[in-house]
Amino acid sequence: MTVDELSRIANRLRLDVVETVHLAGDGHPGPCMSIADIMAVLFFEEMKLDPENPRWPERDRFILSKGHACPILYAALARKGFFPYEELKGLRSLGSFLQGHPDMNKIPGVDTVSGSLGNGVAIGTGMALGCRMQGIKDNYVYVIVGDGEEEEGIIWEAAMAAAKYELGNLIVFADLNNHQSGGHVTDLSSLYPVPDKWQAFHWHVQSIDGHDIGAIRNAIAEAKKVTDKPSIICCKTIKGKNIPYMEDNNAWHKRTPTAEEVEIAREALRDKM
Amino acid sequence: MSTKSTRVAAMEAIQEAARSDERIVIISPDAVAAARATAFREEFPDRVIEVGIAEQDAVDIAAGLATTGMKPIVVSYAGFLTMRACEMIRTFVAYPGLNVKLIGLNGGMLGGEREGVTHQFYEDVGILRSMPGVKILCPADAQQAKLAAKAMLEEEGPVYLRLGSGREPEVFEDGTPFAFGKVREVKKYGNDVAVFAAGFIMDRALKALEQLHQEGVEGTLVDVSTIKPIDCEGITEVLKACDCAVAVEDHNIYGGLSSAICEVACQFHPCKILRLGLKDVYPRSGVAAELLDAYGLSVQNIVDAAKEAMKK
Repeated sequence: MTVDELSRIANRLRLDVVETVHLAGDGHPGPCMSIADIMAVLFFEEMKLDPENPRWPERDRFILSKGHACPILYAALARKGFFPYEELKGLRSLGSFLQGHPDMNKIPGVDTVSGSLGNGVAIGTGMALGCRMQGIKDNYVYVIVGDGEEEEGIIWEAAMAAAKYELGNLIVFADLNNHQSGGHVTDLSSLYPVPDKWQAFHWHVQSIDGHDIGAIRNAIAEAKKVTDKPSIICCKTIKGKNIPYMEDNNAWHKRTPTAEEVEIAREALRDKM
Repeated sequence: MSTKSTRVAAMEAIQEAARSDERIVIISPDAVAAARATAFREEFPDRVIEVGIAEQDAVDIAAGLATTGMKPIVVSYAGFLTMRACEMIRTFVAYPGLNVKLIGLNGGMLGGEREGVTHQFYEDVGILRSMPGVKILCPADAQQAKLAAKAMLEEEGPVYLRLGSGREPEVFEDGTPFAFGKVREVKKYGNDVAVFAAGFIMDRALKALEQLHQEGVEGTLVDVSTIKPIDCEGITEVLKACDCAVAVEDHNIYGGLSSAICEVACQFHPCKILRLGLKDVYPRSGVAAELLDAYGLSVQNIVDAAKEAMKK
């Protein structure tokens, strides 16, 4: 796939999010936009998946540790063919299988429960160990963590364990948009600079522009070359990216777009999908 | 009465099972020695995941392993496991129903008696009983702990096994069966009063039953080794026969065995039930036997409660 094609898929996913959160009347659109380009590369180029057999043992695994951004995960799964696109409109409704946060038993293609922040790296560590112990080769566990959730202690417990077990099959993306529910990450904690900390925990660390499709691709290729360390790809991103009224605006952490705002988003993305 | 370690017994069963089930793996937050799993580690060095002192990480890693088809067993002290990693157990193990087994050490005052409150755990059963999907086993001695560990491994989904300090009194003879999900009559002299007990307090309950018998009160002692799912039918049958009861547990009186018995009773056979356990206080450090006596769990306390329960 070309960079342009993947970029268009990312924007299509962004609009899917705006439309489904509008229809559902509830959800977190802003946090979806900063990871859209990463999601496009992972789901539409990189990951070994089989929508006909979602639990295929040799598949790559994906964990959206920042589970509140699930509208974009659900959109990616629907467009990948794990379930009909029409199901997206049921998001967060009783009777729909699309739970408010990812549920591995109800939603085809979801590999773990997520949403309680900070747990994705530890669960991914277990998955990576499990695959390795069962001799499954050439598969990877991908995790997306937010920056705010790296304030959770368990992130660093898991960072130690994954490094100790030299999990080269674990690749984590840090979505560094410098926003969390309550404000700027840099105001609420002393987390930044993020790459230094992962370096100190003996991870293979890369820093890229999280909206540069080519850079995302290259970083994954580089990460795969490192077989004795888990990898973190620190992605500088913009919360709300490509939706004009959402960009870098934390009011859209959790908010429902109106019909008018959906139209504005459609207009903004019309030639970019 | 001689003692034998429930920790050793349970780990023997796990090590035996691991020889024929390659999916079994132990996750240790620096608890290999505490769980008496050093022999396991010698035999299966690649099947112990040591994460350091990090219980939350241990439970999440176990969840991740279970999604790949492994059968992880997390071993740790009961409170560090059920309190520090409480949410991980609830959200990432119990909610998706993953096949993760949890072993909690130092259950009750009899567990960390001399260590004090930080290492004694009398809330674990109550915490886990409130989580949908977690089964809870509370064996009475080493003989039962070994069978309980075996039963735990045969059961699909999350199971918690409560173990002690390693100095548990031997109550049952070899060959005594363990039935998952069922109460078992330990001794029956008559239907004057029922004594329900779970865990390592069983030897005291048994002595109390004998003393009652000497004094002309003919009771029935029932082992409730599975606290969840609770055996409603079995408990109701005993309650109907005796029409009064005492529940004895080395746990806070809220949330554990006696709560479960009362929940069954109020629906299926309301009758007078006295509850013996830790009365919602934090105890102190001390020698196990002295500590239990000091906090109302002596043999005499059980005898007195049984007589009181019989008064209409």
